Amino acid sequence: MSDPIGTVPGRVVSAADAADRAVLDRIASGQLDALEDLYDRYRTMAYSIAYRITGDATLAEDVVQDAFLGAWRNAARYIEGRGSVKTWLLSIVHHRSIDAVRRRRPTTELPEREEAPPATLTVPDVWAEVAGNLARDAVRAALATLSDVQREAIELAYFGGLTQVEIADRTGTPLGTVKSRMRLGLLALRRELTCAEGTP
Amino acid sequence: MTCDEVRDLAAGFVLGALAPEDERAVRDHLETCPESHSEIAELGGVVPYLAESIEPVEPAAGLKARILAAAAADLETRPRGASTESGSAPVVPFPVGRAPASTRGIAPSGWVLRIAAVLAVVVLGGWNLLLQGQLRDAQAYDEGVAAVLEVASRPGSQAAILADPDGDGPRGIAAVAADGSVVIAMRDLPATAGTEVYEAWVIGGDGVPVPIGDFAVGADGVAVFTADATPASAGVTLALTREPAPGATAPTLPIVSAGVATSPPS
Repeated sequence: MSDPIGTVPGRVVSAADAADRAVLDRIASGQLDALEDLYDRYRTMAYSIAYRITGDATLAEDVVQDAFLGAWRNAARYIEGRGSVKTWLLSIVHHRSIDAVRRRRPTTELPEREEAPPATLTVPDVWAEVAGNLARDAVRAALATLSDVQREAIELAYFGGLTQVEIADRTGTPLGTVKSRMRLGLLALRRELTCAEGTP
Repeated sequence: MTCDEVRDLAAGFVLGALAPEDERAVRDHLETCPESHSEIAELGGVVPYLAESIEPVEPAAGLKARILAAAAADLETRPRGASTESGSAPVVPFPVGRAPASTRGIAPSGWVLRIAAVLAVVVLGGWNLLLQGQLRDAQAYDEGVAAVLEVASRPGSQAAILADPDGDGPRGIAAVAADGSVVIAMRDLPATAGTEVYEAWVIGGDGVPVPIGDFAVGADGVAVFTADATPASAGVTLALTREPAPGATAPTLPIVSAGVATSPPS
């Protein structure tokens, strides 16, 4: 994890991400103050995600603790070129939050989670670093351009922890329709955000 | 799973919305497939932005200390040189055995107070790593103990040994910080079922139990409970009861485990 800035093929590394990688290197070598740095930087976002998904302050704290400990133990497994450290960390938070919500639904089988999300789930966010911080308003505006049913499908999955099959059941919609709403919704969101990035 | 099936499930996959067996199958396929499956990146790249739309909420101030304490405990469990265990170090016993009949209920017994004092000395003496070492067989409990020790070592904090008033049942340790936050680490708790929970109570000088929160326990019998801004203060009794559902306003007897918070001897 010592690549100089900008050398990862196909991906521009921002200064913020380069700093995060340095922190992750220190975490991998067992430096507690580095974990503190990472926590200070992302605690609000991590907790906001966990709280939004679980709706329970205690559970959200447990999730965040679990996620940062996961990052602490698996920093060495962070894979170069697979998205920023921020994306990696927050995807751990998201997955743990979803697990926590599903655990409260006794009929739902839980996936066998690894300590960190598999590399295939930590997808490259090519313009995440280029765009810097897209304003919350911009993301909300982009979400608002989706059709109601597309937004519902995406939000029930991402924030509600429901599977596609469960969303189909709950909304009384054929499974194929749910899949296509999610796909078209994500593509539309991508289009909107790419435009937003081009017009700061 | 075929490439077409993976494409069909791609949106669900990047949103974490697949059934576990499908998620596994997609993941396995992606790890071995020669195709690039660019749809995963195309759809998944946008997912992190969903989190940006969330209204920011700050976590409780104590969470950072808990995480760092747990990480410190984790560090202690990692393999390292043989010099860490001397074998001749003093042993801090956990309370086992039957308490005198007169201690039935929530009243503190003398030995509980003595052990709490021993614990406090251990905390102040910086032997917490040794104590953790003895408890290494249960990592979850270990992390809880570390969190308790972290709070117990703060200025103005008190520590308590929690024990089963009737014998060698559930036991643990707790810390009460000067700001009223409480951390309890327990083990050997019978698992809760259905809506059952353990309720933690603070019993002050007026003898009135005040509920400070509840928690469920799994098959490992371990629980780490934290509560902020409770009415707990110096010399308070901490007690646990098993309740049929969350929200109890009066304890269902018997007391499962209890102890008195005491200050370290000066």
